Amino acid sequence: MEELMEILGELRPDVDFENETALITDGVLDSFDIVALVAELNEAFDIEIKPNNLVPDNFNSVKAMMALIEQLQDE
Amino acid sequence: MNTSVLDWLNLTAEKYSDKVAFTDSEKSITFSELNEVTKSVGTYLASVVTPGSPVAVMTGRHILTPACFLGIVRAGCFYAPMDATMPKPRLNQILSVIKAGFMLVDREHLDTARELDFDGTIIVMEDIINTPCDELLLEKALYNLNENSPLYVIFTSGSTGVPKGVITSHHSLMCYIDAVGEVLKVDDTDVFGSQSPLDYIAAVRDIYLPLKTGASTVIIPKNEFSMPTQLFETLNKNKVTALCWSVAGVELPAKLGAFDLIKPQYLKKVCFSGSVMPGRYLKIWQQALPEVMYVNQYGPTEATASCTYYVVDKEVDDDTVLPIGKPYKNYTVTLLNKDGTATEKGKTGEICVSGPILALGYYGNPEKTNESFVQNPLNKNYRELIYKTGDLGSINEDGLLEFHGRKDRQIKHMGHRIELGEIESVAKQVDNLLDCCALYYKEKELLYLFYTGSASSKDIVLHFRKILPAFMVPRKLVNLQELPTLPNGKTDMKALEAYFK
Repeated sequence: MEELMEILGELRPDVDFENETALITDGVLDSFDIVALVAELNEAFDIEIKPNNLVPDNFNSVKAMMALIEQLQDE
Repeated sequence: MNTSVLDWLNLTAEKYSDKVAFTDSEKSITFSELNEVTKSVGTYLASVVTPGSPVAVMTGRHILTPACFLGIVRAGCFYAPMDATMPKPRLNQILSVIKAGFMLVDREHLDTARELDFDGTIIVMEDIINTPCDELLLEKALYNLNENSPLYVIFTSGSTGVPKGVITSHHSLMCYIDAVGEVLKVDDTDVFGSQSPLDYIAAVRDIYLPLKTGASTVIIPKNEFSMPTQLFETLNKNKVTALCWSVAGVELPAKLGAFDLIKPQYLKKVCFSGSVMPGRYLKIWQQALPEVMYVNQYGPTEATASCTYYVVDKEVDDDTVLPIGKPYKNYTVTLLNKDGTATEKGKTGEICVSGPILALGYYGNPEKTNESFVQNPLNKNYRELIYKTGDLGSINEDGLLEFHGRKDRQIKHMGHRIELGEIESVAKQVDNLLDCCALYYKEKELLYLFYTGSASSKDIVLHFRKILPAFMVPRKLVNLQELPTLPNGKTDMKALEAYFK
């Protein structure tokens, strides 16, 4: 979780990731943030985020992102 | 002969009255409904605004935004669109340049509008879209409209930190739309999927091609571009046949692997512009959708959207660099050397454009206008203005134009024009930041800021996010003891590039 928060904090220091729960739905993160984020997460957590993982439910909150990362690490 | 885009609207509203013109995620509007709304907005505005004045617009990504633009035109005025998601200081800068007496907003953005430094009158779109049409008033509003009258003012990055407002006339816009429509073979069966922010130059295709041809445009919500499969589902649901997107937008689904899951089934043509299309991403599109026509476009806002095009006629490789091709109809492209002489075939020179598609200049800025729009030095016989793009190009063996980057520090990032000097001037406003240099790492599409001083990277980014549009905020900040310098004292940018990773 800490590592994820660090990546997010560096990507968008202006966003309150602890409390946001509609990062995608409300357009807080834009498409260019997502491209950068996917590349960073893949590298940092040694996972491969696939297009079918790219749905708002997986990225709307830090919790959801963490769940996705854990799920992909288990596979 | 057409005088204004209203002639197009009048014709399509009659011929395609019940056909859908624009669709957004919630609603659709037919050509005749669109026409009615423009007349209502026009009637209201004509009763309060002097024809020939600018009207600022701040509305969302919905079907009534084009109606607002055209309503302003019906009042004999021209529009200056603003993206409400931009930071307030940016919007205030635009307002200070355009000095409009009126701002048209939708209810959603009324609060934002009220927080801006604007002394004029704010008009809420929802309050006026049912104004009964007054044909006589609308006719009077257009008495002095001619084809060279301004249609819109669109803002781009300026190196001194103040955005420049490029003024485009009805005639210039109509020349471009006519030319691009011919190349893309647009007709009334086409459905465009709009990616561009509606205040941005790239949106003119999505707005005006339907007006000219009876095609439709689907305004895609911005957040769908983060989720590429959802984006493609939207294209399929709306049977989208044509995309005119920024290169950055076309890259996205390829980068995120969207084609592995779903393909846009109805697509026939994809045209892209804004920056150089990397071969590796176009290849992914071509392999997934081999039947689609791909068109590479090049051109500055000052020459109305795009001035050259190249229809991709072969499968590209990872390292293919596409030519930018040949001039569109009504565009003349000349290459000039530094001394104003013509560049020899095969050699590199500055790309200069002339023709009826030249912008009317930068709004309220005659100095900048005169610097960039000059007499063609090759023409000693009569007045012929050219626009010096600052881009470098050469003509290859096939007679096609190739692009070789900039002669100054302007870059293209995410489809937007950015002056690196503007980023630096904003960075220098941050406390405890002593000196800085902004650079672009093209291969990875990353904006870097190298700086000295004790400011934290967080403080700097937070400041940027308050002042600049998101696409201008550096992703990588590097704090250095001092900036490397060249013998002449200037920053050694080549040395800084060693930090790219």
